[in-house]
Amino acid sequence: MFITRKKLHRRTFLKGVGAAIALPMLDAMTPAMTAQAKAPVRLAFVYVPNGVVNIDWWKPKGTGKDYEFTRLLKPLESLREDFFVLSGLDDKNGNALGDGPGDHGRAGASFLSGVHCKKTSGADILGGVSADQVAAQLVGSKTRFASLELGCEDSRTVGNCDSGYSCAYTNSISWRTPTTPNPPEVNPRLVFERLFGTADLSLSPEVRARRAEYRKSILDLVQSDTKKLVTNLGANDKRKIDEYLYAIREIELRIAAAEKDNRQITPGIEKPAGIPITFVEYSKLMCDLQLMAFQTDLTRISTLMFAREGSMRVYPELGISDPHHPLTHHRNTPEWIEKVAQINTFHVKLFAEYLQKLKDTKDGDGSLLDHSMIVYGAGISDGNKHNHEDLPILLAGRGDGSLKPGRHIAYTPGKPMTNLYLSLLDGLGARPEKIGDSTGKLDYLTGLQA
Amino acid sequence: MSKKNLLRVLIICCPLVGFALLPPTNLAQKSQPAISFEQAVLPVLTDYCVACHNEKKPSGGLNLTTFKTAASVLEHRDTWERIQQKIQSGEMPPKGAPKPEAAEIKALGKFIEAEFERADQNTKPDPGRITARRLNRAEYNNTVRDLLGVDINPAEDFPQDDSGYGFDNIGDVLSISPVLMEKYLTAAEKVARTAVYGAPVMKSSVVELRGQGRKNAPSFTPPTDYDATGLSLPNALHVTFRFPVEGEYSFKLHLNGQRPPGSAAVKFALWVDGKQMQALDLDPEGRASFSENKQDFDSNTLDFRAKVPAGEHWVAASILNLYDGLPLSFKGQNPSQKPEPPLPVFKLREGVSAEINERRKKLFDEKMKEQAPVNTVRVSRVDIGGPYNQLLGATLASRKKIYTCGHTDGHHQAECATKIISNLARRAYRRPVTAEEITPLTNLVALAQKKGDSFEEGLCLSIQALLVSPHFLFRLEQDRPATSTASNEIGYPINQYELASRLSYFLWSSMPDEELMRAAEQGTLRKPAVLQAQVQRMLKDEKSRALVENFGGQWLELRKLESAKPDKDKFPEFDEYLKMSIRRETEMFFEGIVREDRSIVDFLDGKYSYLNERLAKLYNLPDVKGPEFRKVSLAGNSQRGGILTQASILTVSSYTTRTSPVLRGKWILENILNAPPPPPPPGVPNLDEGKVGTSASLRQQLEEHRKNSTCASCHARMDPLGFGLEKFDAIGAWRTMDGKFPVDDTGTLPDGRSFNGPDELKTILKADRDAFAQCLTEKLLTYGLGRGLERYDKPTVKKIAVNVAANNYRFSSLVLEIVNSLPFQMRRGSLKNYELAPAKIAEARTK
Repeated sequence: MFITRKKLHRRTFLKGVGAAIALPMLDAMTPAMTAQAKAPVRLAFVYVPNGVVNIDWWKPKGTGKDYEFTRLLKPLESLREDFFVLSGLDDKNGNALGDGPGDHGRAGASFLSGVHCKKTSGADILGGVSADQVAAQLVGSKTRFASLELGCEDSRTVGNCDSGYSCAYTNSISWRTPTTPNPPEVNPRLVFERLFGTADLSLSPEVRARRAEYRKSILDLVQSDTKKLVTNLGANDKRKIDEYLYAIREIELRIAAAEKDNRQITPGIEKPAGIPITFVEYSKLMCDLQLMAFQTDLTRISTLMFAREGSMRVYPELGISDPHHPLTHHRNTPEWIEKVAQINTFHVKLFAEYLQKLKDTKDGDGSLLDHSMIVYGAGISDGNKHNHEDLPILLAGRGDGSLKPGRHIAYTPGKPMTNLYLSLLDGLGARPEKIGDSTGKLDYLTGLQA
Repeated sequence: MSKKNLLRVLIICCPLVGFALLPPTNLAQKSQPAISFEQAVLPVLTDYCVACHNEKKPSGGLNLTTFKTAASVLEHRDTWERIQQKIQSGEMPPKGAPKPEAAEIKALGKFIEAEFERADQNTKPDPGRITARRLNRAEYNNTVRDLLGVDINPAEDFPQDDSGYGFDNIGDVLSISPVLMEKYLTAAEKVARTAVYGAPVMKSSVVELRGQGRKNAPSFTPPTDYDATGLSLPNALHVTFRFPVEGEYSFKLHLNGQRPPGSAAVKFALWVDGKQMQALDLDPEGRASFSENKQDFDSNTLDFRAKVPAGEHWVAASILNLYDGLPLSFKGQNPSQKPEPPLPVFKLREGVSAEINERRKKLFDEKMKEQAPVNTVRVSRVDIGGPYNQLLGATLASRKKIYTCGHTDGHHQAECATKIISNLARRAYRRPVTAEEITPLTNLVALAQKKGDSFEEGLCLSIQALLVSPHFLFRLEQDRPATSTASNEIGYPINQYELASRLSYFLWSSMPDEELMRAAEQGTLRKPAVLQAQVQRMLKDEKSRALVENFGGQWLELRKLESAKPDKDKFPEFDEYLKMSIRRETEMFFEGIVREDRSIVDFLDGKYSYLNERLAKLYNLPDVKGPEFRKVSLAGNSQRGGILTQASILTVSSYTTRTSPVLRGKWILENILNAPPPPPPPGVPNLDEGKVGTSASLRQQLEEHRKNSTCASCHARMDPLGFGLEKFDAIGAWRTMDGKFPVDDTGTLPDGRSFNGPDELKTILKADRDAFAQCLTEKLLTYGLGRGLERYDKPTVKKIAVNVAANNYRFSSLVLEIVNSLPFQMRRGSLKNYELAPAKIAEARTK
């Protein structure tokens, strides 16, 4: 099904084919920015599934500034000065460690958490708090949304997702607590509604204000009602109700934050009708929504999954009708290897276009890319071998000067991926002691060497 | 193996299955161990096992030298279950190693089973505890529909529910996040306002939709037999579209393609959910066109209008009687009444050179040779616009459900608020409510009125509060401490309202209706006759469709069809229409079993199905015309009958490009026999797909694969089952050749029984119907309870399966047995030490 909207207004087209999305119009943004003088730093994680076809086709020859572009990274060539290639980073907890098959489940769960998740397909999922959520919990209260989780694959899956691992592990890289994944929102319309509200703008401001008041009264009511309830529940039921109360409190905080931040944000696009049929349009729309959320400072922290870990997506736009995951187990069939390489390159190309847009978007005293830190990568290195060492990782943006990109840094093997997160969170002003299996911060990102 | 039946082999072979272990037939043989551990077990271990499983060399992490006494069997029950399975299946000792005598194996098995059974008999029956279940998306939609008469599927906007144990209604797994809570608040407002004021006024807008339709392969002679509705022809357009509100919508069809000159007008039809809404003629003759000897439909459009209810609908546009109305010379049916137009004649142009005219003539002649095919006209796109003339105001259904005070059209007095809200709260919370609970809700009405808003506005607020309350969003069951330990049970009966809710969410995925509530109120719901009558009434009710959609959709993996994308080059005929049709077939088949209370053995080999023309064409069955589904007898048909031969199941158990006996075998093991195979070990070579159909048949390939001993033990169970279905291709059409190779659909099961083709395979499965009954029992019990099954549920499952068999396998008897079972009727007391079990067992299951 092909969906396009006919009625459009006030569009400013962004660069790039198919980027039919406009920059949001901010009634109050420019003054806010100038007053603040300094643009905030944003952090995003872009995840790709099933590793890459061959890490040597990804990893550049040479390190430092004068490295050679590989086939898989080719689409990023024009952005050379804007990103790092980081090699030698590991997600050790993606390994079996005695738990048998299930590398995809573990990779999804551990990529941002550095925690070896529990093998279960049922009641008792257990992973770790992911880096984006560590950041969201420390500095997320500064924006209307502590974080934003997006995905480009509808995960309507039933049963186990990978050898006895729950679908929660493959569906979400973002985990608020060790038992609560943050499932990504996959419908652009719903992302839009979440960011810009479902409020009927045709109502008068007084009516809208009154309804907001009523909403608070309703929340108060159910909250006090629920607290009475908790006293006579068993442990498992109580856990559920605690989750409920937590959610209510979060919303109250959000309402309070929104009251402080009374900018009227008018998005420059019509609400998307639904999920676009082609992956190109779909992923671009999601990237654009994420960009808008950053640009309008509705959030500073985001994750975006191009697909679920273990994805079975087919890529008809590349002439590939085989699903991605089985292809990655190519058994050295040249045609299969070629197809996987094409998919990998395609993802990088979409990422490059996204970076270009960030670069073209003015933000404070520079571009949005200047003030961002964008990690791109996978929790599996070689999709065929299922190994979790020497992952394919890119880091883009300048983090408001805290990063000096344009280089390939090859770390001594064995560095946990979470060390990178520890460094990045620093740039955000969040300083956790540890994330999962981290052992310390990563060197060289500020450009001291390598 | 003495009792050689498929079931035994399949089920026992399967290592590490938490519990579906032995056929119910074995249960009856209650015998005390005649011989001792030292006689029956120890010698076998010593002679055949400890060489590889000892302290120094614990192969597979197993050291058997520590197991010296009978007591060890119960102390390490999980381990012994595995040992038992491996030995009984012949998997251990491995190939090449000396094996115990059949009698020795039998004696060992008998001893261990008896030990297990003795232990089970000595344990108090445990009903388990079901964690508070949050309404999942389907349940939320249905509940607001039944509570307020608002049928707008608000939960479509909610995040995906997580699933566990194969279902998405498992209390432990269903969590609530701030994002979801936010959506609950938004949905509550939308639902409440729709209930009180009607759907919001929508601005009209246009959405362009392209179908996946293609052109018909050009043809110049009309066939005599074809689908007159045009729906199943490739040139039809099929899309699904979510209509935001009930109202009128415009449908602009974009056409292209050609017809021979002199053809009669073409009749285009618009269909919504398989119902023809409108048909319009178009005759392009005489319209501007670049063609001289063709009717050209390119860039023509046609405007339709239809009234459509809110929600997702299947919209189709097709050409009626495509091959009718052709000029007489085509010898088709109902030829065109128009005189055949004279052939255009070449005219010399004056004032140009002969050379140019010569060239023009050549071009003209070439063009004349190109005849218009009779069938390439098609609908390529539809623009849906609307809504127009939207229905405004609250529906009668909603008003009736809300204004229980009488006067459904306003003029409410103060006491109405209490009356209306008490009634809504009782239904929303599915239990009696206290005045203490009502007061804050009526206060909201007062608050709104104080701020100058209307009574209705206040009502909206209290409905919103109801819809975000945990009493509505969760199905909470009251907790009580365990009853006296002197009783034989460690739980207590849930109250009758809780029972009513368990029933209605089980069978309807929705709240209890008034009749159930009344029975609970009167305290009669537990009376066997009342309960039975209620269950039968509920199954016959249309709402039991939810059981088919939600239980069936997950058990049979029909939900996977949504994302099924068979390869377009290999299966060009697989379009949206076919996809909808194959799903509908299986759903109707299931519904038939539920509504007509048929035997569950019909699932295996019911000699009937529900088909429309599109599907009948795929199945090669004549005489089924039109898009409506109807029951079709399959008596005497050796290809079809039962779900295993239905295209939906055959598609979800295939790859996009080819069939997979492995996937199909696995599907049967998991869903029919509840004996899922373990995941493949790492580093296993895959099938060489490139070779399939070119240098070796798929079967040869798999046989090659099975030579690898690591693979053999599991594939010996999976592959033969799948081979039996090999004459169905990856979208379920019958075939006799696969590439260059004739398809061989014979197979031999590990127990030696062999078969030739699907019919004989089904005969074997039917002989093992008790295994199927037990499988379905476990699946349906898991779904009905909303929790994973534990070891202590084993006796319940066995008992149900045996009783269902005694009741001729009637579907209602299965449901009734579940409803009457211990875990469904009772709840374990909240003694602390009982709360630990689930996590531990879940761990054991997946190890």
